[in-house]
Amino acid sequence: MIEVEKLNERDLVAAAVEDAKRYGADLADAFFSQNHELVIEVRNGEVENLKVARESGIGIRLIKEGRLGFAYTSDLGLDSIRETVRAALANARIGSPDLNNVFPAPPEAYPEMELEDRRLQEVPLEEKIRLAQEIEKSGRGYDSRVRITEQASYQESQYHVTIANSLGILASYRGSLCGGYASLVAGDDGDQQTGFGLYFTRKFDELDPEAIGREATFKAVRMLGARRLETRRTAVVFDPYVVTNFLGLIASALSADAVQKGRSLFAGKVGQKVAAEGVTVIDDGTIPKGLMSSPFDGEGVPSQRTFLIKKGTLRGFLHNSYTAARDGVPSTGNAARSSYKSPPEVGTTNFYLAPGEKDPQDIIKNTESGLYLTEVMGMHTANPVSGDFSVGAAGIWIERGELTTPVRGMVIAGNILELLENIDLIGKDLRFFIGTGAPTIRVAGLTVSGQ
Amino acid sequence: MLSKADLEEILQVARRGGDFAEIFIEDKRSTKIGCEDRKIERVITGHEQGAGIRVIRGENTAYGYTNVLKKEELLKLAERVGKAARENPVETIPLVRRESPVKLPVKRRPEEEGIEEKAELVKAAEEAARSVDDKLVRQVTVGYGDVTQRVTIANTDGVYVEDERIRSRLSVNAVAAEGQVIQTGYESAGGTQGLEFFDEEKPVDLGRRAARRALLMLNARRAPAGRMPVVLAGEAGGTMIHEACGHGLEADLAQKGLSVYANRQGEQVASELVTVVDDGTLQGKFGTLRFDDEGNPAQRTVLIEGGILRGYMYDRITASREGAGLTGNGRRESFQHRPIPRMTNTYLAPGDASPDEIIRETRAGLLVRRMGGGQVNTTNGDFVFEVTEGYLIQDGEATVPVRGATLTGNGPEVLKQIDMIGRDFGFSIGICGKDGQGVPVSDAQPTIRIPELIVGGILEEGDCDDRG
Repeated sequence: MIEVEKLNERDLVAAAVEDAKRYGADLADAFFSQNHELVIEVRNGEVENLKVARESGIGIRLIKEGRLGFAYTSDLGLDSIRETVRAALANARIGSPDLNNVFPAPPEAYPEMELEDRRLQEVPLEEKIRLAQEIEKSGRGYDSRVRITEQASYQESQYHVTIANSLGILASYRGSLCGGYASLVAGDDGDQQTGFGLYFTRKFDELDPEAIGREATFKAVRMLGARRLETRRTAVVFDPYVVTNFLGLIASALSADAVQKGRSLFAGKVGQKVAAEGVTVIDDGTIPKGLMSSPFDGEGVPSQRTFLIKKGTLRGFLHNSYTAARDGVPSTGNAARSSYKSPPEVGTTNFYLAPGEKDPQDIIKNTESGLYLTEVMGMHTANPVSGDFSVGAAGIWIERGELTTPVRGMVIAGNILELLENIDLIGKDLRFFIGTGAPTIRVAGLTVSGQ
Repeated sequence: MLSKADLEEILQVARRGGDFAEIFIEDKRSTKIGCEDRKIERVITGHEQGAGIRVIRGENTAYGYTNVLKKEELLKLAERVGKAARENPVETIPLVRRESPVKLPVKRRPEEEGIEEKAELVKAAEEAARSVDDKLVRQVTVGYGDVTQRVTIANTDGVYVEDERIRSRLSVNAVAAEGQVIQTGYESAGGTQGLEFFDEEKPVDLGRRAARRALLMLNARRAPAGRMPVVLAGEAGGTMIHEACGHGLEADLAQKGLSVYANRQGEQVASELVTVVDDGTLQGKFGTLRFDDEGNPAQRTVLIEGGILRGYMYDRITASREGAGLTGNGRRESFQHRPIPRMTNTYLAPGDASPDEIIRETRAGLLVRRMGGGQVNTTNGDFVFEVTEGYLIQDGEATVPVRGATLTGNGPEVLKQIDMIGRDFGFSIGICGKDGQGVPVSDAQPTIRIPELIVGGILEEGDCDDRG
């Protein structure tokens, strides 16, 4: 019996592809991923939870007579891989035949990227614990009204991806991420409000625990004493985090998969104006510091930069090999796999609303009255087909260009296309939250339901 | 294969680092079939295995997992997870197997049924949805999923459980379009059964219901905005009770002071009409369990009785922290996660009123026949959820359908306000997310009336707000 440990990942994916061909697949690919994870959660200065993890597995995708089948396993023994290949072939029997089921050929080259911080392996656990403790301490020390730590944590992930396909692709990369998160609760007169701070990066040395803790405190404290507003139509200034929540909805509608299946509000609008003049939306898997950057996507297609909306005009959609073949265009390198357990879907890499020129402070100053929106709830209930949304909202009321009282328990409703058209100011403060980034924006008029 | 003796040895190593050690071994086989655009596109089978080791020392938990199920690997992991603390000499703990009185018979085991059988269920639902109106129904997405999860749970209290959980589910999303209006209808059903589940919950019915809802909503008006009485029909399912009250009664949130229900046992927290129960033993329901993921028997727990808070849902850590009894709510998504208090099947118990009477006694308001997703901020109790099938109530009658409504309110306030409770009962299922872990749950409720809730709709330019 051959022991798994003796096979490296490249041999493993190559063996899986060979097996698939031998059992009769016309085309096959194998995707190996491995993840080492560390999570340290601190409360009241003590390590409350510590998690160390190691996970790996392989996903095998194949095409037989135009039909697609997929199977995965976490057992990397050769017998198990053979069984997985056979399962994928059985699954292909019931798949609908489609000539657009294609795999990419090897590219000339992949972009060079430095995605790994080797220091993560050298920094002792104790130092990472101290970092988490520092996040909590700085947050709680920043304002005495912070009473409860919901979470203060340090997290890191070191990952490795290897892919092979029967057309000759064989490639791999390693990467790492680390970051801190704080969610703190401030209390005053029976009122309790939560705020969060987070920062993730590839470089351990770039982490600033104090900034993370303070941000959480700042956000919790400013919501104390929040009340409900009366229902009205008003200007709304979105903070960058809230904008990224809406970008999630836009991203799914910009996937060619959604367009081809008639569930995108952007279908048939390429070349048309779909947003205000200042709006540019980009997906870029090659940004040097981007947390979702990688040399290639889940099918082995090189990552690239793609303009989706440029100066308000819809330029195109995100593609994987299937959707690209169906539209007769090249793939944009957006075949996304969340792990070895999923076949490549169309997904974003680093997806962002390009910054404008306004200072975010000036956006608030230039707003006579309106809502500074800092939190939305239930974004997943928005309708990606019609673009209608109706979400819980909280924020701070703006009066004569100044932030005044906090407000909560309201609902903001509208349509995403109308929202895009009504963006009248865009800040220069682009900020990424993992894979999605946005600056502060202002939307001219939205219904805010309250009392 | 790991023997009981191996597990005892691994636990012994882990336990050196704390007061308690546990191992959770999982072997999961799953199937997913996705159909969209009249094509079966995604056919996925998976096999995943792994083990998680947990060591608790005082208030601290160390957790580690691996998917290499070899004794040497697990001993290494046990040492790593346990080493956070000083050496604690320990003896071997004999493991005693636990049995459950809850029988969950499965007639047609998913892993023994062919993939073709499952594909037929998907096709039946898809065709039924299309056939409701072949012109207006533009897109139908059907998702089938089954899971066979085998777990072995052992800990240094001597608990040893071997269990198997089998679940099947089917969901249908229909998109209908006419002119510029596009609307969707969603239906899903699932249970702790094999393929025989679909003899009762017929795929054809699910498909038709989803398509009919999408069509109905095409002709719906935009929902009104403002404060009004809301009648939630039993068939709307229990999303509301899950969001507005269930999460706040999970002991971890309550103990951290993150719940509006913290330290309120014995107090009147809801209208006298309100009784809320979590019951993991209901036959065949999506959140049903023989044992939770810590090896404790599932049970029925009364959370609120006649408006009075009776208790919370606990896992091992939270129960021992306050000396409470275990409730069988320690659940986890997989071996990759430590268990935390979670709901199973949670419901608001039925009352006496007839559902029709509740509507008749409401002069003007909103009737909700179907709810979509929701979210709650447990710290302050604010919740929001979407209405996927709603009607205006005018002079005691449900009239025109409305779309785009979202209900927002505050859990404790709503529970105090409920003034009518029906004798009907309806379930909904879902994968509930908390701390990054999804677990299958079901929620249920009768028809209820909430005298005042905020409905978020769209105020057109120039509308005046007659309530402001």
